[in-house]
Amino acid sequence: MSKENNILRIEELEHKADSFTLGPVSLSVNEGDYVALSGPSGSGKSMLLELIAGLRIADKGKIFLQGEDISFVLPSKRSVGLLFQDYALFPHLSVFENIAYPLKNHSFVKHQIQERVEELAGYFSLTHLMSRDTNSLSGGEKQRVALARAIAYKPRVLLLDEPLSALDEELRESSKEVLRQLKSSGQTILHVTHNKDEVEGLATTRISMYQGFIRSVF
Amino acid sequence: MQRYKICLSLKSSMGHKLISNNISLVFSLLGGIILLFLVAPLVGLFVSVKAPALFETFKDPAVSESIILTLVVSSVVTIISAVFSIPLAYMLARKKFPGKGLVEGIIDIPVVIPHSAAGIALLGFISRDSLIGSMAEGAGLNLIGSPFAIGLAMAFVSIPFLVNSARDGFAAVPVRLEQAARTLGASGLRVFATISLPLAKRSVISGMVLMFARGMSEFGAVVIVAYHPMTTPVLIFDRFNSYGIDYARPVAAIFIAITLMIFLLLRIYQKR
Repeated sequence: MSKENNILRIEELEHKADSFTLGPVSLSVNEGDYVALSGPSGSGKSMLLELIAGLRIADKGKIFLQGEDISFVLPSKRSVGLLFQDYALFPHLSVFENIAYPLKNHSFVKHQIQERVEELAGYFSLTHLMSRDTNSLSGGEKQRVALARAIAYKPRVLLLDEPLSALDEELRESSKEVLRQLKSSGQTILHVTHNKDEVEGLATTRISMYQGFIRSVF
Repeated sequence: MQRYKICLSLKSSMGHKLISNNISLVFSLLGGIILLFLVAPLVGLFVSVKAPALFETFKDPAVSESIILTLVVSSVVTIISAVFSIPLAYMLARKKFPGKGLVEGIIDIPVVIPHSAAGIALLGFISRDSLIGSMAEGAGLNLIGSPFAIGLAMAFVSIPFLVNSARDGFAAVPVRLEQAARTLGASGLRVFATISLPLAKRSVISGMVLMFARGMSEFGAVVIVAYHPMTTPVLIFDRFNSYGIDYARPVAAIFIAITLMIFLLLRIYQKR
């Protein structure tokens, strides 16, 4: 992976929390890559995701997004989307309001918000659910809403934390299809999973982590 | 043998049921005595008030003025306190900082000290010798015996209800949702305004209603910093002291009815 094409570059990142120490970890991701980050529980993959998203600040090392050092940039200013394992949908907002939330934060005007939400609703087959309460959605629907919300403002990198682990076999296949479509749209994706088989046919790069270190990249 | 086992098991289950029923009966009786103790004096008060006396009391300007004063000051104090208490409650729920235990202890002080003693402390705080009192005097104001002093006393004794309720509400909001909002471009203040506060709204409003109700009921601290103008609890005491129980009773009945109505509204809101 040449340095020039890197959309995301991590250099010697280290972080200690409680008794766990991550790194030093270095990796780089090219634009449009679908990187699968796998490893057993406690290998540090979710921590790495949180560091990239800015929910944690590294003790050492640097994170670059399109060449810009974002190591100390606030999560709200990073242009890094994150799909949480439990989706983290806002229970007091409707499906429409959930998807519109990042657009409002990024100062989109009303008609732009309407257009973008409708576009995403069509893309993720959510049009009929727009006014629904998020608590009333199925697991698959919740995930599609969370995905639509995460990419609504077009973040440069999308981080997925175990996106398929909470879904049953049937939903997992349809969800993989959605991720495949996202990948083909050119979205750069970092997909954390404890199950290597889950990213079969999706990943362009596979990174394996173990006890806080990157064990292999292929 | 099998039948014998079934019989034994039935007997044993019936025995448990019998013991359980006995316990329920004893506990219900004991609990019933407490309920009776709480309800009987109030029912007695309402029963003993004669309709003409109640009507006369309603027409008495001193009573209506005291009720209006009490409700207005308590409302204003609750709203002003909320501006300061809600951020503090959020900090206590979400952040770790040195001296957090001490801060939580300070918040609870008004609950454990006698309110008359709190009134004495506040009196010193706003007297002419104090910084605030002398500044007010310089502006031609005497704080002692003013609605400001009443508000101060009400706030002092009732703020813990708001802070603690709001803190519990914020603590119950999943941190994950706030983190998600941050990754979706929301600033810290916007996360608070659009996620944390709406999700903790029920507890915050409950805390505000409790603070309002506790503030308007306050007597001990208020009577020391402001005998006049009279809040309703002070008026009840004044009527009792000057004219006896028959004059105090109708005012007490009216005030308790107002307090109970607020409490009822709170319960309905909480159950919604």
